[in-house]
Amino acid sequence: MASESTKSPILGQTFMAGIWRENPVFRLLLGMCPTLAVTAAVKPALTMGISVIFVLVCSNIVVSLMRDLLKPHLRILMFTLTIATFVTIADLFLKAFQPEMSETLGPYVPLIIVNCIIICRAEACASKNGLVVSIVDAVGMGVGFTLTLCVLAGIREILSTGAVWETPILPTGFVPWAAMRMPVGAFITLGLMLGLVNVVSRKKS
Amino acid sequence: MSKIKYFLEQSWLLIISAFCFGLLLAIANAAWSERIHQNEIYKLNELIVGLVNDANDFEIVIQDVNIPGGRGKITKTDIYRVLDVQRKTAGFAFVAVGSGFADKIKLVIAVDSKCEKFLGFDVLSSNETPGFGDKIKEDKFRDQFKGIAAGNLELIKAGEAKDSEVLAISGATVSSEAVVKIFNTYIGKIKEKLQTAGLNQ
Repeated sequence: MASESTKSPILGQTFMAGIWRENPVFRLLLGMCPTLAVTAAVKPALTMGISVIFVLVCSNIVVSLMRDLLKPHLRILMFTLTIATFVTIADLFLKAFQPEMSETLGPYVPLIIVNCIIICRAEACASKNGLVVSIVDAVGMGVGFTLTLCVLAGIREILSTGAVWETPILPTGFVPWAAMRMPVGAFITLGLMLGLVNVVSRKKS
Repeated sequence: MSKIKYFLEQSWLLIISAFCFGLLLAIANAAWSERIHQNEIYKLNELIVGLVNDANDFEIVIQDVNIPGGRGKITKTDIYRVLDVQRKTAGFAFVAVGSGFADKIKLVIAVDSKCEKFLGFDVLSSNETPGFGDKIKEDKFRDQFKGIAAGNLELIKAGEAKDSEVLAISGATVSSEAVVKIFNTYIGKIKEKLQTAGLNQ
């Protein structure tokens, strides 16, 4: 799948690949840890998504710029070093400017370091393509990841609280589904969404 | 000589990158550390006022109390006097740090004005496992510390907690143990300092 995007450096296609065809969550099943953990509400999901976009774009830029200088046996070390730097910056930024959100996300921001989406794009795209393609790929993948997180979080937040973005949208008589706030709600929502995406993509093909 | 040349040939990019990234992190840290510290102070204020009933204000009364930890390590903490509306002592509070399951746990612990009872604790920062260790932040666990004698505590894994006992969180024994250990590490020294200074009258 990755080689397909590297062979077709059409920017629109590269961007859209991350949204649907190679969506990191629904099609590649990457980044499952934050997908399940921070989707109880839309706000933390969006913050996590934006943090991942920042780290993805920055790491893809750095990896793409140094791709001709990378020694094959040191490349994973270089990727990890690059990713860890930008994740630490994102973590410090959240602690400084969004302390409550930083606390809500807890260890999941530092855990972006081990998020497979980022190292996957560094290895599959940025280390083989030029700067522009790498940036577009990072933005596409990041936006795809963020949208997915927000959709899952939206469903869970509506069903667990009757609200989205802390704004009530369901009638007052609605009985909140407490299970949707818990891990079981995350697994069920993700499973149903994966099934739905598979049905839609089969019909499309 | 050739070995050094080979080493540099292989690793020059790594060395330069590590230096550049380190510099970038140092700049980010220098730019935001003051703000992060300020946020921690705001949170500390909020937690202290929340822990002590009738709290209106607080001030540092003893600075840099040396707390002996394990393996000869010494940590420092400040003791805060919490004041009510009439500027009378409503209690004391201090920040206590210890190792948790995943990372350091930083607590704010409050004791009454005579340092005889714990008024409770709250978590200033921790990275305990979500769904398990982070239950140390929940009222069910924290409420056990309210009103018990300010002395050494004991953790029990089952049954009903009595006197100076604290019931561990099911599935998070390490985090529960860590909290109790933090209490036990700090309370002796804090009591001693307050007595020496004649503050716990």
